Amino acid sequence: MAEAHVIGQIIGATGFSESSLFCKWGIHTGAAWKLLSGVREGQTQVDTPQVGDMAYWCHPIDLHFATKGLQGWPRLHLQVWSQDSFGRCQLAGYGFCHVPSSPGTHQLDCPTWRPLGSWREQLARAFVGGGPQLLHADTIYSGADRYRLHTAAGGTVRLELGLLLRHFDRYGVEC
Amino acid sequence: MNPREEKVSIITEESTANDEDAEVGRREKSSKVQRQQRKKQPPRADSEEMVTGKAQPGQEEPEMHLLSMPARRGPRSLPPIPSMSRTGFAEFSMRERLREKLQAARSKAESALLQEIPTPRPRRLRSPSEKELETEFGPEPCKESQATSHRNDSQSYSRVKFHDAVQKIKSKPQAPPGFPSAEEAYNFFTFSFDPEPEEPTVKARAKNRDGTHQEEEGEEESPAGGMNKMVLNVIARAGTPQKDEEELLGSQDAKDFLLGLDPAPDEFVVVRPAEYEGTHTWLEKEKELLFFPSRRAVPTWKKLPENVQPRFLEDEGLYTGARPEVARAQQNVVENRLLRQEPERKWFGDDGRILALPSPIKPFSSRPRPLAQEPSAQAGLETHYKKAVKYVHRTQHVVGSADPPGSFQLDIDISGLIFTHHPCFSREHVLAAKLAQLYDQYLARHQRSKAKFLTDKLQALRNAVQTGLYPEKPHQSLDATQKTIKEYKSEIRETRKLRDAEQEKDRTLLKTIVKVWKEMKSLREFQRFTNTPLKLVLRKEKVDQKADEEAYEAEIQAEISELMEEHTEEYEQRLGEYRASYQQWKAWKKAQKAKKKKKKQAEEHPEGEAEEELYPGEEPVKPIPPELLDHAVLEQQARERAAHSRRRPGEPVLLPELSLTGSVTPDDQCPRAEVLRREDVKRRSVYLKVLFNSKEVSRTVSRQLGADFCVHFGQIFNLQIFNWPESLTLQVYETVGHSSTTLLAEVFLPIPETTTVTRRAPVEEVEFSSSQHVTLDHEGVGSGVPFSFEADGSNQLILMTSGRVSHSVAWATGDNGTPLIPPPSQQSLGFRSALKRADAISSIGTSGLTDMKKLAKWAAESKLDPNDPNNAPLMQLISIATSGESYVPDFFRLEQLQQEFNFVTSEELNRSKRFRLLCLRSQEVPEFRNYKQIPAYDREILEKVFQDYEKRLRDKSVIETKDHIDTHRAIVAKYLQQVRESVVNRFLIAKHHFLLSDLVVEEEVPNMSSEGSGILGLSLFKLAEQKRPLRPRRKGRKKVTAQNLSDGDIKLLVNICRAYDIPVRKPPASKSQQPARSSRTFSDRHAASPGAHSPPHSPDTPLSQVSVRPFVEVSFQRTICHTTTAEGPNPSWNEELEFPFRAPNGDYSTASLQSVKDDVFINIFDEVLHDILEDDRERGSGIHTRIERHWLGCVKIPFSTIYSQARIDGTFKINTPPVLLGYSKERNVLLERGLDSVRSLSEGSYLTLFITIEPQLVPGESVREKFDSQEDEKLLQATEKFQAECALKFPTRQCLTTVTDISGKTVFVTRYLKPLNPPEELLNVYPNNPQATAELVARYVSLIPFLPDTVSFAGICDLWSTSDQFLDLLAGDEEEHAVLLCDYFLFLGKKAWLVMGNAIPEGPTAYVLTWEQNHYLIWNPCSGHFYAQFDTFCPLKSVSCLIGPDNIWFNIQQYDSPLRINFDVTKPKLWKSFFSRSLPYPGLSSVQPEELIYQRTDKAAAAELQDRIEKMLKEKIMDWRPRHLTRWNRHCTSTLRHFLPLLERSQGEDVEDEHRAELQKQLGDYRFSGFPLHMPYSEVKPLIEAVYSTGVHNTDVPNVEFALAVYIHPYPKNVLSVWIYVASLIRNR
Repeated sequence: MAEAHVIGQIIGATGFSESSLFCKWGIHTGAAWKLLSGVREGQTQVDTPQVGDMAYWCHPIDLHFATKGLQGWPRLHLQVWSQDSFGRCQLAGYGFCHVPSSPGTHQLDCPTWRPLGSWREQLARAFVGGGPQLLHADTIYSGADRYRLHTAAGGTVRLELGLLLRHFDRYGVEC
Repeated sequence: MNPREEKVSIITEESTANDEDAEVGRREKSSKVQRQQRKKQPPRADSEEMVTGKAQPGQEEPEMHLLSMPARRGPRSLPPIPSMSRTGFAEFSMRERLREKLQAARSKAESALLQEIPTPRPRRLRSPSEKELETEFGPEPCKESQATSHRNDSQSYSRVKFHDAVQKIKSKPQAPPGFPSAEEAYNFFTFSFDPEPEEPTVKARAKNRDGTHQEEEGEEESPAGGMNKMVLNVIARAGTPQKDEEELLGSQDAKDFLLGLDPAPDEFVVVRPAEYEGTHTWLEKEKELLFFPSRRAVPTWKKLPENVQPRFLEDEGLYTGARPEVARAQQNVVENRLLRQEPERKWFGDDGRILALPSPIKPFSSRPRPLAQEPSAQAGLETHYKKAVKYVHRTQHVVGSADPPGSFQLDIDISGLIFTHHPCFSREHVLAAKLAQLYDQYLARHQRSKAKFLTDKLQALRNAVQTGLYPEKPHQSLDATQKTIKEYKSEIRETRKLRDAEQEKDRTLLKTIVKVWKEMKSLREFQRFTNTPLKLVLRKEKVDQKADEEAYEAEIQAEISELMEEHTEEYEQRLGEYRASYQQWKAWKKAQKAKKKKKKQAEEHPEGEAEEELYPGEEPVKPIPPELLDHAVLEQQARERAAHSRRRPGEPVLLPELSLTGSVTPDDQCPRAEVLRREDVKRRSVYLKVLFNSKEVSRTVSRQLGADFCVHFGQIFNLQIFNWPESLTLQVYETVGHSSTTLLAEVFLPIPETTTVTRRAPVEEVEFSSSQHVTLDHEGVGSGVPFSFEADGSNQLILMTSGRVSHSVAWATGDNGTPLIPPPSQQSLGFRSALKRADAISSIGTSGLTDMKKLAKWAAESKLDPNDPNNAPLMQLISIATSGESYVPDFFRLEQLQQEFNFVTSEELNRSKRFRLLCLRSQEVPEFRNYKQIPAYDREILEKVFQDYEKRLRDKSVIETKDHIDTHRAIVAKYLQQVRESVVNRFLIAKHHFLLSDLVVEEEVPNMSSEGSGILGLSLFKLAEQKRPLRPRRKGRKKVTAQNLSDGDIKLLVNICRAYDIPVRKPPASKSQQPARSSRTFSDRHAASPGAHSPPHSPDTPLSQVSVRPFVEVSFQRTICHTTTAEGPNPSWNEELEFPFRAPNGDYSTASLQSVKDDVFINIFDEVLHDILEDDRERGSGIHTRIERHWLGCVKIPFSTIYSQARIDGTFKINTPPVLLGYSKERNVLLERGLDSVRSLSEGSYLTLFITIEPQLVPGESVREKFDSQEDEKLLQATEKFQAECALKFPTRQCLTTVTDISGKTVFVTRYLKPLNPPEELLNVYPNNPQATAELVARYVSLIPFLPDTVSFAGICDLWSTSDQFLDLLAGDEEEHAVLLCDYFLFLGKKAWLVMGNAIPEGPTAYVLTWEQNHYLIWNPCSGHFYAQFDTFCPLKSVSCLIGPDNIWFNIQQYDSPLRINFDVTKPKLWKSFFSRSLPYPGLSSVQPEELIYQRTDKAAAAELQDRIEKMLKEKIMDWRPRHLTRWNRHCTSTLRHFLPLLERSQGEDVEDEHRAELQKQLGDYRFSGFPLHMPYSEVKPLIEAVYSTGVHNTDVPNVEFALAVYIHPYPKNVLSVWIYVASLIRNR
């Protein structure tokens, strides 16, 4: 019966080779968690930084969970996309981070990666855009054996999440 | 130190003890030396500490060696302890000498070194000792021998002693052979290498020492040289005695030196070849040491205790499980070894095999193997190259759009057809078919060989009983054994019976086969030709007569003994029973006697009688003692049975073999009849039709019937399937010659299981038969007719045409191997988990798994072992299913540990009111949408918060019959609710699709040039403009976004300006008015010409009394306000009324405001003052009047209209009842007839209103959604272009080209217009009067209830339903009404258009325009009224476009008021048409149905509804008058009831006078006020509302009486016209 509020924002992303980035995000929780209000997933606008390389989205996240257990603590998965001058979108990175478990405001940096693909695909990506994407997006946060994947590092997504916990102490969880 | 070493050391000790004294002394000395040595050690460690830097490297080295040496020579290393003593000698000598040499140098240090811990020493010492021993026992004797020193001598001496001791031990008793003990081994080694000379060993020892300590250089180097060097070293170091000594001692070098420091180094060094041990010797040794168990099988008797037969538990029916797979040879080896090693046989089981648990290895892996292909192995991680694509917002909002049906394929393979009977069969064929059938049966039985199986089982059971009876070990309790034996016995009995039956069957079958074959042979002989190639050969298999006889006899004996036993048992039992019953009988007898006696007594004591009655009345029969059956009789029986069912002993086994090797007689040798038959057969051909879902889908080729009546097709039909297969049928057709085909039979094929796919499908045979009767005039026996094989015609047979089709049906597999199977209609996954056995699935099919009976049957048939743990889930399942307790968990728990860690259960979580409230709020459930704050604690939330919501949820499923009295409307309402929900959901999704303009406000750059929109230019001019305070301008009010509003912020302002033509009271005296109006015809009405308003008409009543005192009462959301009372029929109030507005749930969002269903009721009343003075004498002193209000009419404006229009300004027609008793609108004096005509034409009262909302709210915008469309892309582009052009010219005029239909698709609007038939009944009413028909039709349309889309769909979008949908729904807004009306008019042959425009109060709406002979008429489809083009009171205020069935015309005239425009659409200057020469009309098909079908409304249902409504209204009226008694005047009610149908017939016109007259006649002395109300029927609530709004009940005259009558006139298609007549009656005095 404990409750958790996750309030914050996806501030932006930095370190990507592409400009004009946007981000699709989602929150994944275990079966014990129940979303009381708020939107589980969303997508930011496309930001083309004029100064510097940091793309700012300032996309609000506001979720209210009720939980009956600690398993499946909420985790945030992110997909950073870039939009080219033709308005075409391609993947720039996958990222994943846990929502912090202590109350308060947290600055999170979520590094991202993207699948590299075969040399042919890399070549195609360099010249005509597009690129390999995960067929099953849940790989981003599931602990599948990823060792077969060849990935390239993307940039970092910066998040600011505030966490409010309620009644956790009632069940012996100190925070 | 292992035990062996210890022993050796003890031995050594012994030997030394036994030696001479001298030796003892030496030993003692040596030990002393050793001790000294130990004492000497300490200083080294000490010195180490002092001189760490130098000493360390040296010390490390020996450590390494020490560790490495034993490792290298490990196998041969021997214990250190015995050597210790010996090392003592060796070292003693060396150290002694060393000490002598160094004595002088070290005198000082000596004392300090003496006290030290000796710990490191023994370790150090071990290495030399090991070497020494090793050399000592080294297998190769050294050839070199040198001079021996006395020390060596002494050592050899001790060795001899040692050997002696060893030999003594050797003679001791030995351990069992094959297990060499430590002593043995030691003896072996020591003994065999005895002759080894001592000197070389010593040398070798020395050499080895050198070798090890000087890094193996000793072998090459001359030992002496090495020694000398060291000696030199030592001497050199001796110069610095203190330090050098320490160094030497600390390092290994020093030790080497000490060891090597020998006066005669040659004595210690010997050169030896590499050690080698011959293979032969090794083998020799091994032979003695090792035991090789044999690989041969061990006979069973060896493994079991004596005189015990092996017992096979499995044969006894016990579950043993599968033993793990072990190679036979391996098992034998183990068995042999065990027998040898552990003779007590505890490792062997009863069956003489090694005990083994069932194999724990599962036959399959629980983790699925990764598939062979590499990509699928990482399916979870697969990446997919995606091209960079443009983002497309997809709006898939099609209601009920299903996935496109996949292509599924069913493969039907028809391989052939065999007739088991055919009319053309000759007699021989009949027999042959019979024979073949029997043979098939035989083969099947033979294959199953059930008899043999049962025999074996019997044998096993008997064995089990045998072993059970005489168990070698009584490991079970006697009880249990008895029980099992009993069970066995009963099973034996059963099995025997079964076996006998089987054997008998086998035998009879064989006999029949032989009999048929004989018949056939005789037939062939008789007819002198053969038709079939069938040939039966009986193969005899010789048997060993003697063995057979023995077996037979043994079997019989066994059987007899068993029978005997059974009988004895039975006899025992019967005897027991007999005894018991005999006892009982005896007791009874006794009792009887006693009773008799008692009876005599009872005569004296009558109270005893009751007791006697209790005794059972019936008399027990004296039991007969059972008889014991004779053994001989039993034997006789058994033998008889055996003779009957079994092969006689010694009789050969007969094996029939059927072959087709016989030859058929050619045609020319046959008689004529037979030739005819054969020709007939040739003429016949057969084909099959394949019917899928009883539709023919394909047919096979027609094939000729062969002489063997087989037809081979071999065709495969691939059926592409879209529907779920329901039936699959083959039809067998036969063609004779060129004549007609006949259907022989139908074969129904089962639909294959979803697991059956093409390659795996087995070929099955399905039998068919036909009831056809065929008689042939040749040899053919015909079908369905009797024939006989006998010459005399006896023994007749009737055979029907029959046969078998061999086929296979399976689902095809796609290119990628996926089966093309439609998804199963119902999922049945419940039991899958329990069933892992593939054979169960293959044998009974997947669907069988859900059928418990089938499953249980299968389990019983396949003899599943119930004890096998593999079958446990299945058995459990079956037992559950058969016992009826059906708790089968249908879930599989992931994360089963999670529950342990949960804080609370999920039930508790769901019970939390706070969470529930939060969830409901976030889901925007209407009841909770606007909860601002939710309490933090559960206890603060009241349960009743949810009541409404829960009630609504409950009601969703229950059709509320209270509100919807008739069921059809209830269903419709439910359907509408569903449509609404789906549309709302769509809308909610669509709301999140924002366009750029939704998010970003881009102010347009002010444009200087354009005159209208140029803000900058205009404002510049405005600055220069003169201020004109006397000419006020309307200032735009600021619009308020609805979000931050709360209750009370919004007000509804209603400004009542004035009214026209209010009906005036009629003096009760003026009874007879000239009925002038009733004679007026239709043609008069629209002939009116436009004219100016007449000035307010003042009544010229002769009595100069006030004709009417009207006031207006406005009610909104149950707030009621009213104006002051004005006077006269054309009053002017000019009053502003203010109403607070409350949004539902305080939700002021746009969506919520749009769905407000409240109406503004504006009622006009006449205020009447009644003098209630009863006594005229009091008139002077007081006024007693009562104010009565008489309802005159009402105007109803929905709030949604006000909201969407922002303001409503105009003159509205007052909805007056058709009959208003006591009032008339007639002008008494017809002075101004000319001017008045306009108003009298429109024949109504009017009210001018201005309504608005303060502050102004932003009206909700309809969603600009681009729906998908089936229209031509070109057409859609054209519509966009057209609309854009129109909007450019006249932005305010609405241009409509495409609309959204109810399934959410965009449709071109003209597709809605098409002539549609109105109900027949309406056409038949006025067959000769088209205008009257048109009015009637319009009335019919208006009777369909009105429901604005904004209310039903929360202002989302305008949905146009087709007319049939509209009629089914019985609800719609203006467009639907207009479309239907327009379609009717088109059907009636009128020129009709849909008018899109603005009207009051609706706003943008649709009207219908028709062209009569010389003028246009504008029809309001919702009210059924029509107006002439120049009617000033026409509610249509502007016209923007006209829509015809084949074109759209946009109004491009300067004005848009219908009064001022020309409706001639042929003029392109006035009307811009959509389809023109450049874009001709493509001939769009209509979306409307071909024809509307009307069901007659059930009159009885309508009558019933009428009664119910009446009852309900009466109750309501009584409810509204809680303080008064409500009396009902029955007489009046019945009068009114008669009157209402009249009103319906005349549509509420021109009946007033007659009615009045009649009422007057009937209720002469009552003052009557009341009126009929008329409305379309949708639900009950509006009716109640309407009655309430009349205020009839609001009278408190004490003796008032009421009358209420309801009449429902049913129109086709359940359209109901409701009339309610309410009246109040006051008796006049």
